[in-house]
Amino acid sequence: MAFRSRRSVVALARAAVLAIALGACGRGDGGAGSGAGKTLYVLIGANTQYPQEQQAWQKEISDKFRAQTGATVKWEMFSSANDELTKIQTSVVSGTGPDVCAVGTTLTPTAYSTKAFVKFGDKEWAKIGGKDKFIPSALGISGPDDSNQVGIPWVGRPFVMVYNTELLKAAGIEKPATSWDELTRQAKQLTKGDQYGLAVAYKDNYDPWKFVWGMAAQAGNPLVDGKTARIADPTVEKAYQTYFGWLTTDKVVDPAAVGWTNAQALAAFARGKTGYFALTSALAAKALDAGEVKGKWAFALLPTVPPGATSRPANGVEAASILSGDNLLVADYSKNKDLAFQFVMLITDQDAQVDIYRKLGQLPANAKAAASLLSDPKLAAVVEAQRKSVATPFTGAWADIQLALTNVVVQSIPDLAKGAVSDAALASKLDAAQKASQSALNRAK
Amino acid sequence: MAGPTTRAVAPGDVGPVATPPECEGRSRGWRGAARGRQRHPLWLLLPGGVLITLIIIIPLLLAIDISLIDLDQYTLRTWLAAPFVGLQNFVEAFSSGLPRAIWISVSFAVISTVATVPLGVAAALVTQNRYRGRAWVRAAFLVPYVLPSFVVATVWRTMLQPDGIVNAMLAVVGIDGGLWLSGPNSYWTLILVEIWAAWPFVYLMALAGLQSVDGEVHEACAIDGASWWLKLRSVILPYLRGPVLLACLLATLNHINNFTLPYVLFGAPAPDDVNVMPMLVYVTSFQTLRFGLSAAMAIVSLLIIAVPLFVYLRALRLDVHEEGGRK
Repeated sequence: MAFRSRRSVVALARAAVLAIALGACGRGDGGAGSGAGKTLYVLIGANTQYPQEQQAWQKEISDKFRAQTGATVKWEMFSSANDELTKIQTSVVSGTGPDVCAVGTTLTPTAYSTKAFVKFGDKEWAKIGGKDKFIPSALGISGPDDSNQVGIPWVGRPFVMVYNTELLKAAGIEKPATSWDELTRQAKQLTKGDQYGLAVAYKDNYDPWKFVWGMAAQAGNPLVDGKTARIADPTVEKAYQTYFGWLTTDKVVDPAAVGWTNAQALAAFARGKTGYFALTSALAAKALDAGEVKGKWAFALLPTVPPGATSRPANGVEAASILSGDNLLVADYSKNKDLAFQFVMLITDQDAQVDIYRKLGQLPANAKAAASLLSDPKLAAVVEAQRKSVATPFTGAWADIQLALTNVVVQSIPDLAKGAVSDAALASKLDAAQKASQSALNRAK
Repeated sequence: MAGPTTRAVAPGDVGPVATPPECEGRSRGWRGAARGRQRHPLWLLLPGGVLITLIIIIPLLLAIDISLIDLDQYTLRTWLAAPFVGLQNFVEAFSSGLPRAIWISVSFAVISTVATVPLGVAAALVTQNRYRGRAWVRAAFLVPYVLPSFVVATVWRTMLQPDGIVNAMLAVVGIDGGLWLSGPNSYWTLILVEIWAAWPFVYLMALAGLQSVDGEVHEACAIDGASWWLKLRSVILPYLRGPVLLACLLATLNHINNFTLPYVLFGAPAPDDVNVMPMLVYVTSFQTLRFGLSAAMAIVSLLIIAVPLFVYLRALRLDVHEEGGRK
């Protein structure tokens, strides 16, 4: 009894201290219901490639929403994944903040684990126009299962390869590679003089794990099996060996790539001296058209046959890309939920989805809108990649696992630069990643 | 020679103060003096007190509280009811990389400080005497200091790429620069960039110290025929002791707390060799979402920083009034 009352006092003290600390950050919520005089707060990422176009799109959506409901939309922007996470954390703790948040797909499991967002049942899906209007694969990372979904698919950014059509033609390559081994072979064919077969962003903090996850999933290892991490596994080891081997043994990558981020690798490809850039998205089109490769590039699906194989094993998954893009979340603390649902319906309907692609290059999650883009030959591969995207494991521990996978590459860069990452060094780093991942999975609730 | 007590009475200072000898025997005794102090407008401290409470005391209490509970993404929303785990977060902090991060942070900070002192003092001496263009030199010296840390780190990161300008210049003279931003060299890169960005602070403090040297001292040295070296070693540098020691303390604390520089230079996760305390706390908090654990790490960092600060302040009794009265 005394213990319980002591806990209550501690909780009360925390609440008082927090109330003072967050007082200045708080914001009055609008009243219940929907309509004129109310304000809906929406958190979305700043589009650094199309900033003016994004502002115009926001204004247009705000005007439409006001015409429909009489309510005003106030936009809050985040500039990076860290900024996004910080804003969401603050909202979760304080119980006040944006009514609608657009979060990256890989952040959805983390957001789900906070229990701060509305779970979508039949009633909620109906309010936004039904679940059927979305591409089925886009719902793959909305929740752990069909009855526990919080993320509403909004836009997709599937990962693809981009290749230099002229260089491939000159090397006698008729079509882009469909297996990782074929990609390596073609890259060797393309490498000569100051020309390289592949551009890879080894120093990027987000790219490396995507290769490893994709190759392992194709080989039948989803990296997380229930509550067990499968990082110290031959499929993962083979994935890293392939990824490092492009530089160390195959020598199809510019040695300077050990210092490249994704943007630098894209810039290197855009100079026109590289056959493939192995991980990019449709958003790169603008930068590609501004480079030496204008009119000489095309997107292609990433290989879907694991390294060392000519076909996928029976338990392998045709993972062309991680399920990438943004999901919309409606805050559970919101006092304007109905307005939020109306807003979500507005921006996920077919017309709005085609419009956001035209203005900002973001692929629709709406099935009809996506189908209408298939006629564009430049986009066919990207839309196909979206259809063949596979969700990363839906666990609150995913952030740790992603970090552990990336850390293997970060700590291997000195060896990579010297020309060899030994099996022993790789095994030791995989053991460390396995421990970190398993520890995170053990904590998952 | 015993003189009257010169200690100034700070507002709110309620301790007994020795009565000046000339006041002894006056009709106004200790009680009168106490009454006089009671009339001090202590309420003027209120704005500062409120600010300190909001900005320092409440966040500190929150951090201590969070360090004692199991707060992560699963308990974030109901953090008031998060399980109390006592010192478990501190135990885990010491078994999960914190000691190594402390070693890296402290050694990096000390080396950076030791390297910046001679640079800063030398620069202050160079710009002490008047000469044509001195204002330009002084302005140029301040450039690294006025540039935002983010800009400094971004520019250096660009220059230190494997195919960047630094390696290109080294290649001209036949040197292979190698990797600056990964592996063991990253530690020395961090120190190099920190020195580049931080030495003007020591320069400013040393310059302020030089300006406080009385003109009579220079005249006396000239009259006595002291050589420049003797004058520098025996007269000028002792004047600089206080400001430079203070600069060392503040600079070291700044180095230990520097997050922007390693974060922008190396990204997160950082190479093991530059996993300094702020980076570890950041990654634990905002990438692995272990807020309780990261709060424990932050508290340990605070204690580490507080120890030298406390020792220094106690040793030197750094007090503006006392320093001002000491000549």
